[in-house]
Amino acid sequence: MTVVVLRVLIVVAVLLGWEIAGRLANPLLYVPPSAAVPALRDLLALRSYPDFPEHLLLTLREIAVAYGLAIAAGVGCGAALGLNRLVGRAYGPILAALYAVPAVVWYPSLMLFFGLDAASKIAFGFLLGFFPITLAVLAGIRQVNPQLITVARAFGASRLTVFRKVMLPAMLFTLVGGLRTGLALAVIGVIVGEVLGSKAGLGSLINHAYGLFRTADYVALVLVTLALIVACDAVASALERRAQRWTHLQ
Amino acid sequence: MTELIVVDRVDKRYATSSGPVDALRGVSLGVGAGEFCTLIGPSGCGKSTLLGMLGGLVHPDAGRIVVDGRPVEGPDPRRAATVFQDPGLFPWRTTLENIEFGLELQGVPRARRRAVAQELLAPLGLRDFAAKYPRELSGGMRQRVAIGRALAIDTPIVLMDEPFGALDEQTRLLMGEWLLDVWRRTRKTVVFVTHSLHEALALSTRVIVMTARPGRIKSVIELPLPYPRAMESSELVTLRAKLWSEIREESLRAMGET
Repeated sequence: MTVVVLRVLIVVAVLLGWEIAGRLANPLLYVPPSAAVPALRDLLALRSYPDFPEHLLLTLREIAVAYGLAIAAGVGCGAALGLNRLVGRAYGPILAALYAVPAVVWYPSLMLFFGLDAASKIAFGFLLGFFPITLAVLAGIRQVNPQLITVARAFGASRLTVFRKVMLPAMLFTLVGGLRTGLALAVIGVIVGEVLGSKAGLGSLINHAYGLFRTADYVALVLVTLALIVACDAVASALERRAQRWTHLQ
Repeated sequence: MTELIVVDRVDKRYATSSGPVDALRGVSLGVGAGEFCTLIGPSGCGKSTLLGMLGGLVHPDAGRIVVDGRPVEGPDPRRAATVFQDPGLFPWRTTLENIEFGLELQGVPRARRRAVAQELLAPLGLRDFAAKYPRELSGGMRQRVAIGRALAIDTPIVLMDEPFGALDEQTRLLMGEWLLDVWRRTRKTVVFVTHSLHEALALSTRVIVMTARPGRIKSVIELPLPYPRAMESSELVTLRAKLWSEIREESLRAMGET
């Protein structure tokens, strides 16, 4: 309860500070909440950007595809690296090193390869989401108690059964953590990609509003993006809590 | 007595960073149905390796292992179940679910395997712990769950690799008594690996002493004595002295080597 009160308090304080500072300085640059709210209303009522739903939908589709690909490739690569010691020793460090490179440096190449349309955004979202998922699967497999695998084998489990009945449950918590980070990064990747250069999508609208100095519309779009990210993360974090509760039975 | 387990001139060598190590050389032995056969010897004498071979988890480099009339080619949960020193319970499974594990792998329907596991709870002394997770159980209870998991698949043979090795001495003594009781009721064939003279003498129908590396069979001591055994009887005191002198010699050799 106190936590909620404290949270509300900080939000109110920030909004209030923002309102005062925005009005005192320059309402055009520092869009105060009193200007942002009508802009948000205009945006949602499709007055400022009538094609807003199409852009939002496109962004959501890009995120879904990027994230789906990141999960498939991440789980596949993580399993290959984790289950085969030689492959893991050979390629694991390369992967970790690549993860440390600020991913945005790849983006110009992706635009050259995939063009200005959705493909380059999907590729960027995928690239960002792929690493944490792969590394989580890898770490998850490595932390499985080998004795559990020996026991399962002694009871006649095949390799697939060992993976399903022993490894997957044993690494669930780590895996879900990686999936959550992967989702957040895939969302960031797609939106950053759109902002950096695109013809459609939430990011392109942000760019458009910003470029035309429609600062209130820009703030409204940022708020929508924020809501989108918070919603994605809330779903992921709920799943993570379930996995945690389950895992903590250990 | 029919030989349920036949080990025929088995060799095993491990590659280590300091060159190959002979774990077992020319080991032959037979275990009859219903026996409680104990393997004892110094650390590193290959007794766990031998047990692993009986369970199909380790493959011999030479020689042959026949269990229940057929050569062992891999783990076969219809012939033998294994209990390890580290019970290796699945932390996300309750006592009942852990006991059911082997049956689940064999595709036994849920209701049926639940019934089998339920029935085992009382003899395992786990009736009030059916829905508990391993972390909520004591060391002795955990090992009883692991034994339950092995008994649930109802194999003619149970292989036990120092099952009480990680328990404190009092728990260990009680677990020994309990296991003896289970064995006498089920009449399964047990191959038991231990470091404990007491366990070997109190439980076994036969004790096999192994030599220091490379592991060979040094001697076989038959124990055709009734249960429960009074460890302070003159017969067992004499046997204990004899067993100890055999093992002592090998343990000294094993210590000198390392």
